[in-house]
Amino acid sequence: MYRINLNKIKITFSLVWLMLGVALADSGQRVQIVDERGKSVPFAAIVWGEGKGVVADTEGYFSLDNIPSSATVKITAMGYADREVLLDELKSLKKVILQSSLSELGEVVVTGNFGPQSARQSTYMVRTIDQQIIQSRAAMNLQEVLNTELGIRFSQDNALGSSNLEMNGLSGQNVKILIDGVPMVGRQGVNNEINLNQIDVNMIERIEIVEGPMSVIYGADALAGVINIITKNGQGVNSYSITARIQEETAGNEYSPFVGQGTHIRSIGGAWRQSEHLAFRGGFTQNNFGGWKGGDEGRQHRWLPKSQNLVNASVAFTQGDIELDYSVDFLDETINSLGPENRLEVIDTDFITTRWMHRVNGRWEVKPTFQLSMQAAYTDFQRETQTWVTNVRTNERNLSRQQGSQAMLNYQGLTFRLLGNWMLSPKLTLVPGIDVNTENGIGDRISENTGIQDYAAFITGEWKPTKFLQIRPGLRKAYNSAYEAPPVIPSLNAKVALSTHWDFRVSYANGFRAPSIRELYFDFFDASHSIRGNPDLVAETSDSYNFSFSHEKAFQPYTFKFALNGFYNDVRNRIAFTIDPEDPRITTMFNIDRFRSQGLMANAGFSGKQWSAELGTSYIGRFNQLATEQVALPAMLYSPEVNANLSYTLPSLKTQFNLFYKWTGPLPAFQMQLDGAGELRPMEVELEGFHWMDFTINQPLKNGIRINAGVRNALNVVDIESTAMAGSAHGGGPMRPMGVGRSYFLGLTYQLSK
Amino acid sequence: MKINQLLIILIAFSLGLFSCDNSESPIMEPDPASDGFIEINGGGATFPNMAFINLRTGEQTTVQRQRWDLAFSSGSDFRVLINGTTGAMAYETSATDLNQVGEAQAADLRSSGGLDMTFNNMEAILRVDNPANPLNQPIISPVSAVQADNKVYILNRGSMGADERPWKKIRIVQQNGRYLLQHADLNATTFNTLEIQKDSDFNFVYVSFEQGKVDVEPKKSDWDFVWNAGTSTTPFPQAVNGTLAYFFQDLVFHNIYGGVTAVQVLEAEISYDNFNESHLSGLTLVADNRLTIGSNWRGGGGPNMAPTIRNDRFYVMKDARGNFYKVRFLSLTRDGERGRPSFEYALVKAG
Repeated sequence: MYRINLNKIKITFSLVWLMLGVALADSGQRVQIVDERGKSVPFAAIVWGEGKGVVADTEGYFSLDNIPSSATVKITAMGYADREVLLDELKSLKKVILQSSLSELGEVVVTGNFGPQSARQSTYMVRTIDQQIIQSRAAMNLQEVLNTELGIRFSQDNALGSSNLEMNGLSGQNVKILIDGVPMVGRQGVNNEINLNQIDVNMIERIEIVEGPMSVIYGADALAGVINIITKNGQGVNSYSITARIQEETAGNEYSPFVGQGTHIRSIGGAWRQSEHLAFRGGFTQNNFGGWKGGDEGRQHRWLPKSQNLVNASVAFTQGDIELDYSVDFLDETINSLGPENRLEVIDTDFITTRWMHRVNGRWEVKPTFQLSMQAAYTDFQRETQTWVTNVRTNERNLSRQQGSQAMLNYQGLTFRLLGNWMLSPKLTLVPGIDVNTENGIGDRISENTGIQDYAAFITGEWKPTKFLQIRPGLRKAYNSAYEAPPVIPSLNAKVALSTHWDFRVSYANGFRAPSIRELYFDFFDASHSIRGNPDLVAETSDSYNFSFSHEKAFQPYTFKFALNGFYNDVRNRIAFTIDPEDPRITTMFNIDRFRSQGLMANAGFSGKQWSAELGTSYIGRFNQLATEQVALPAMLYSPEVNANLSYTLPSLKTQFNLFYKWTGPLPAFQMQLDGAGELRPMEVELEGFHWMDFTINQPLKNGIRINAGVRNALNVVDIESTAMAGSAHGGGPMRPMGVGRSYFLGLTYQLSK
Repeated sequence: MKINQLLIILIAFSLGLFSCDNSESPIMEPDPASDGFIEINGGGATFPNMAFINLRTGEQTTVQRQRWDLAFSSGSDFRVLINGTTGAMAYETSATDLNQVGEAQAADLRSSGGLDMTFNNMEAILRVDNPANPLNQPIISPVSAVQADNKVYILNRGSMGADERPWKKIRIVQQNGRYLLQHADLNATTFNTLEIQKDSDFNFVYVSFEQGKVDVEPKKSDWDFVWNAGTSTTPFPQAVNGTLAYFFQDLVFHNIYGGVTAVQVLEAEISYDNFNESHLSGLTLVADNRLTIGSNWRGGGGPNMAPTIRNDRFYVMKDARGNFYKVRFLSLTRDGERGRPSFEYALVKAG
């Protein structure tokens, strides 16, 4: 027998009702819903009885006409605390005030969205590393925060004292690094392999990681994903706060107090709200790393000494519907590379990086249903190489006269973004935007060029046809002055709320990575090198598919979380070195390769009053380039990872114990090598896996003082072995540096706020 | 007064050299220098020079690398070397007539890069003289007395740290106990000829296409090693025979054809300062590999690596007169600039 379910009809009916609500709610007595500042809240849902309701209009108004007397009305709006009011009470009011509540959003994310949004509501699967974790890691740099994240691997370039990252099997060139949504500029130009360690970890509020292409919104290089560093900003500070931090750390077993060997961190920051309109924030951090010799005798360091001064300042202004803030970040970094002993002359090199980054963020609430946000940023990145020669016999020290030994690289990047957020109806929001990026690079080994100008327009929007489904299509069209920009870039994200605790997300997106200034204009000719960039390069493009199931259940005080996600990236037109067909003497770059990566990741987390635990695993495959020629070889080479975070808080003393662990599995690869018989054949090589563990203790004391102590790299990782042979002309040892060995740290943090 | 005497001796000495054989006038020879410090005049950053060092006199003779194209051996048979110090390469055609060779025969070489010294050229080792002992395995087959056996070669004169110059076609034959060189630009329909007479005082007679016979090496008994740049090899799996011909700067060749022998000694075995005559007996000096010193005395210098000498080693050399020297390099650079390295040396045992 088929029975009509009245409840279902009611729900359907009320949904229709909700949709029509906008049109119907304009007769009889009207009430306006506003926030605590008196600004109207559009599209709030007003529900009574069994699922009946109306939706407020764009100005926050709704009619009381259809509401039965003596009903209790529940008013809900995204970002505000729910409020229940009796109809009779409503009748006496002209305005209902809703309290805005960020906590209402739960975990908040901004990446890919117009403004802060609940992580659960976002159509993007966003991984967040919050303030609490950053603090408990007591890190000097971002690498120390991210090195136990799944899917992220770092490799160390010890000749330059910098590090590179890889995400989900794709190189760092495909990962867009943003600071509050603004792309960073690094040694290779805008966003091509940013050195994450040139960011002040003390100014970070949280880190958001989105896997999968975000090219529609963030443009070039957001192919593997986006790492968005959210800074502590001037908005919403108390009347004042002061933070100071000092930390001393050994470098393996090398240490000297406060200067020289080891890691020495000093940081001070403060914020002050002068009035409701004006707030200031500033910070200064000094990181000194004395280098690490690893027991070697002599002048040379295996890890180069580095000193960083990082300054930031910001001012935030709010008036009426306008929010505006300006911030400036300054970095001064010196890396010293001491040359080997010589009998007559020793040659030392300093790499000096200076970076100024200016950002202006604006937000204007034109109407309750329409907001504009603007970001403008200018970055001036300068990297100087100074080579010094010291005559051992006379102790005279002079700049080297060797050609190319004094070098200067200068990049300027300008970004301007304008985004609109237009709520057309409760179900449809459009986010149109324009994005202008210009980049100029000059320096040794870069041929003369006119820079790169990129102009793009994009539109995304979110459509919620039903309560449990969100669909977010997007399109981007760009014009680029230096290379042929890909035609229209599409993306499609969808989120299905399978139940109150389960969400399913799926996405398809086009990603692209722009050729960098180096790839376009590199120019290096000497006795044994003839390498040239290729100004005719086009962007690398990808088709990417991602999905995720996520589960979250809270039964106070316990929370349980689970997520399973997978990805598949197919990269075309990958840029690779090859011989110039027009001049076989020259090595240049062409869009020749194809690359794929795919993987699965799962993690589960549990948190209670005193305990919290997280366990995750991933299995990521990278395309085997040699398989294109040698069909017998496996096309994909997989590497596993496992990570775990454990935290326990001692109830009596509030002491917090944290354990961070990751096993990075062996990474296989194939290389052409000579076998015993002198035949060239592909042989499997493998980069050894390793276990990384940090253990930290946080002890809060009175007066806002906290002690941090712990062991970093507790399992004493130094080098990992690669069974790869020294294949290239310049060689390359079979050992890759990973850490400086087990290090101990002790630090103090002082926090005062009012 | 003393200066005058010295001058007279020198004049007498040079006249002596001019007029009679060395071995017949040992009285005229000054004592070998007992020690010294020499800064090699390589010409600086672009290392344009070959610097021939004479330890006995403490003198060096510099010649531009680009000055010559072919070196004709003064030895008993007829062998010719190409100029490895500019990265020259040669390709043997099947033709025996210069006029049968033109751009058409070079087309494949041009498009494949087979006659260019680059790290993309996996076959480069097949187009160069053996870097360790070139006379033993020259790229130009030993010149045969049978005219028809002498093929035409296409020659890239080398542009490594040198000006790029048009390719040449060459053919060398024997004629009346002399070499006869035929050479022309690749597309030319006429060719030049040059007769080359061996000179037993010298290892080689050097020839430039533009200037004919040119002076390069000092007399074979008047130099011990040469500092220069040039073609050497590096192991590389993808290259033919796993060996890539690779252009090195700061290469040191000892004068193997002039009877100089050399060997490397590690400080760990016996230090430079303590090394004396008594240690000579344990050494095996190398006479047939001019790369014994080669680039082994230095390291680094690649991208982001400071160039450096290797402090853990020095060299012992025996000159043609039987003098033993110990030689250690002090610096690869002067004021940070490559192309002016320095070394010190001391006489261990007079011959």
